[in-house]
Amino acid sequence: MKAQKVEVLQGTLDLIVLKTLDTLGPLHGYGIARRIEQVSYELLSLNQGTLYPALLRLQQRGWIASQEGVSENNRRAKYYSVTRAGKKQLSAEAKNWRQITEIIARVMQPERGGIK
Amino acid sequence: MSRLREFLLRLLAVFRGSCLDRELDEELREHCEMLVEEYRHEGMSEMEARRAARIRLGGVEQIKEMHRDQRKLRFLEALGQDARYALRQIQRTPGFALLTVLTIALVIGMNAGIFSILNALAFQPIAVRSGERLLSVYPTFQGRGRDVSGSINMFSYSEYKVYRDENHVFSGLAGYVPFISAAVGGEHSSDATGTLATCNYFDVLNQRPTLGRVFVDSDCAVAGGNAVVVLSNDFWRGQRGADSEIVGKTISLNHTNFTVIGVAAPSFAGTEVASSVFWAPITMQAALMPGSAFLNNADLSWISVLGNPKPAMTMDEVRADLDVITSRLDAEHPGTMKVWVREAALVNRPEERGVILTVGAVLLTAVSLVLLIGCANIANFLLARGASRRREIAVRLALGASRGRLVRQLLTESGLLALIGGVLGVIVSVITFEPLVRLVIAHLPPGLPPMALRLSLDVRVLAYSLAVTLVTAIVFGLAPALRSSREDLNTGLKATSGGELDHPRHAGAFGNVLVSGQVAVCMTLLIAAGLLLRGLYEAQRIDPGFDRKGLTAVTFQLEQQGYSKAQANALHQRMKEMLWSLPGVDGLAETRIVPLSNVHWGTLAQVPGTGAQQPVSYNRVSPNFFAMMGIPIVRGRSFSVEDVMTGAQVVVVSEELARRFWPGTDPLGKSLSLLGELPQIVIGVAKDAQVDHLGESHPKFLYLPTDMKTEAASQFLIHSRLDDASTLREMREMISVLDPNLSFSAERLEDNLDAFRSLSRIVVVVSGALGGLALLLTLIGVYGLVSYAVSRRIREIGIRMALGANGQDVLGMILRQALLPVALGAVVGIAGCAAVSRILSSFLFGVSPLDPVTFAVLPVILLGIAALAGYVPGRRAARVDPMVALRYE
Repeated sequence: MKAQKVEVLQGTLDLIVLKTLDTLGPLHGYGIARRIEQVSYELLSLNQGTLYPALLRLQQRGWIASQEGVSENNRRAKYYSVTRAGKKQLSAEAKNWRQITEIIARVMQPERGGIK
Repeated sequence: MSRLREFLLRLLAVFRGSCLDRELDEELREHCEMLVEEYRHEGMSEMEARRAARIRLGGVEQIKEMHRDQRKLRFLEALGQDARYALRQIQRTPGFALLTVLTIALVIGMNAGIFSILNALAFQPIAVRSGERLLSVYPTFQGRGRDVSGSINMFSYSEYKVYRDENHVFSGLAGYVPFISAAVGGEHSSDATGTLATCNYFDVLNQRPTLGRVFVDSDCAVAGGNAVVVLSNDFWRGQRGADSEIVGKTISLNHTNFTVIGVAAPSFAGTEVASSVFWAPITMQAALMPGSAFLNNADLSWISVLGNPKPAMTMDEVRADLDVITSRLDAEHPGTMKVWVREAALVNRPEERGVILTVGAVLLTAVSLVLLIGCANIANFLLARGASRRREIAVRLALGASRGRLVRQLLTESGLLALIGGVLGVIVSVITFEPLVRLVIAHLPPGLPPMALRLSLDVRVLAYSLAVTLVTAIVFGLAPALRSSREDLNTGLKATSGGELDHPRHAGAFGNVLVSGQVAVCMTLLIAAGLLLRGLYEAQRIDPGFDRKGLTAVTFQLEQQGYSKAQANALHQRMKEMLWSLPGVDGLAETRIVPLSNVHWGTLAQVPGTGAQQPVSYNRVSPNFFAMMGIPIVRGRSFSVEDVMTGAQVVVVSEELARRFWPGTDPLGKSLSLLGELPQIVIGVAKDAQVDHLGESHPKFLYLPTDMKTEAASQFLIHSRLDDASTLREMREMISVLDPNLSFSAERLEDNLDAFRSLSRIVVVVSGALGGLALLLTLIGVYGLVSYAVSRRIREIGIRMALGANGQDVLGMILRQALLPVALGAVVGIAGCAAVSRILSSFLFGVSPLDPVTFAVLPVILLGIAALAGYVPGRRAARVDPMVALRYE
């Protein structure tokens, strides 16, 4: 049996997508989904289709842009890439995320100090 | 920013077609193919790979739904659906829709129209260069005496100059004095109303002349030094034939020659409600207002001030800066003066705004009340229809529609109706109000200067109309929507399309409340209209206590027009002789105030040695005044010629004054002291007459004899045996020949009465129209309620008749039940009107605000009409055939 899969935390999908596109450059939806699964060692449970509303939202906010392209296997596909506004947003959200995880980590391990 | 962008994109997507759907389809298909390929690589068969791919991708339809939700604004789309559905409903009941839309259009049209007048007067900023504002600056004084010309909330010249020179917030601060009346001399002598202005007035308002120049600073350098004038474009075209050589010519105003330096732009008529014909430098005050020197009086309120603030100056900064100057200015009486700043409109001073806003509010309230009656009708109809749509609503609830969703949908329907009505209403108001305002202005008392009112459909009027429309939609839509969506599924689904037997009383209760409210409001409006009508009727046949047949008043203000004392006396004497010589003239009296001219002279009077000073009104008249006016002297005697010649200290008092000052004793020979004069001896008592204001005789009125010193200030009252029209013409010609420069008026006394009537005529027409409309709408309401009740209770009526009730009983029952809410409403309406009718008293001319005739007759009429409205459907109920009714589905 596989290890227990984890649901995507509410609101973090945007961050994950932005980070992925930022690291790998332009990608189509399938590529993004694959990449997320690979990075999470297949532990993140993702209905790949749910990516699309998120991609639309990010486009509407001007953080990513899309353009037509051809995939490795000669298929027509829409390629998404991070815009400048998206990069700014990513760095802001990444900072925010680091703070949150730090706080959560401290809350979960109070005996090691931190919160007294 | 990104959120806004998202919102706008989603808003746009609502209007875009389905091409986005296709795009997504394609993207998902490609994605699926890639997954299939991946699984095939792993060694799956085509079938297995496809199945696995679909699982990885997730439910395509759900994804599409999510995508659509993200793409568009969900609520807006739902609104579109609701609107389409509402349109279908409206098409199904076109009669109702038409009635509703017309009612709303009519009343919102009136509302918007009245508001646009109010807006033009009190809210619309005076137009200057685009992007610039104009501020009105005015002072208020408290706890100190001050000389006043016009209103106390104005500046003196020295105060104005201090503010102008010492402020740091205005790029220009201009002062002006409107309503300067001047006699224009020359071939066609006439009266003109103009403005005294500081020499930066046109610059602050950013007005360029059509011809010549406007004022420069040097024009205001010396008091009385620069007799120059700028003419209005209308005057230049109308009176001077658009003479292109007019600059440099002279024009005589109140006997001083002014040099024309320019003509104002066509669109400019000054900064007040009445248009200005000319503008002269404020330093020419003494020339235009002879006999007064305002410039040097530091404690006289007479100048209105407008300022053009420097760019980016906030109101708070302006106020703070002016406050510093004020605190320095009123060092003598600290804290008694305060300066206010507001965005400049045509009407700025608080006392005038108060009057206008009150009148506007009363009118808008009356119109809104009619609107309310109309709304009640529509609500009642929607309620009835809601009952017949019970099954539809129950089904929708059963299928999972939330109540909120249903209410929203029902409200969309009423909102749509209201919106159509509102748009129509605004169009109606735009089309009708210009002519209407012109009509009203044409019926205003003669002698008022022309109005400079520009009605325009600006943001404020539109916003107001939209707000009224939305409130209307909610008022008539909300209650029915809430009621019909509160449906018990069980009974709702079982309900037949009509003739149910469940709680008829309960279901009708809300409708009854609506009708009561309608009747109450209608009653109030009707009684108000009735009172005004009675007032007008009384005014037609009122006996003012004096004779006016054959009387003509000739009025002129010699001293104010710049005549010297000697000139004035000579002219006065010549005029008197020539008027006497006209054929048919058999009487000529002199009086300081022409009766009913709406001019009042007041002073303080005191019985020597007793009590406090009391305000009294008075007039100075020649000895024959009483005889000619037909005012009987009930005790003692009138003035004699000797009284006038010797300047005797004598007085004739009115009966009412005698009763109040010397109750129960003979007033003859008693003495009375007037403020600043020697004690006067009472020589006669005159019958009360309404010489001040039609419809009320001033309770404390007295007459003094004309005296030699001020003789030239009196006006003439001439009695002629002949036809009034020809005498009038001859008088006018004769005086024009005598002195072409004199500005005067010769009017029949009868016409002075008309001034009082014309205003009340407008009020009567308006209130009558509103009352009639209210009555009509109420009638429809009662009729609708009763018909509906009859149609719902047809089975019950059938049972009653099967059990032995006859047609009379049924009719009686229906009428009783219909008239109960009507009677209740009428009582409330009568009480309400009795409480507020006092505000109408100045239009009532002697009719009491609680006039028993009006208060008795109109309720009877209303109840009669309501009974009739109930009788027609009631008869239908009485004719019900029990056999048919019991089978009625």
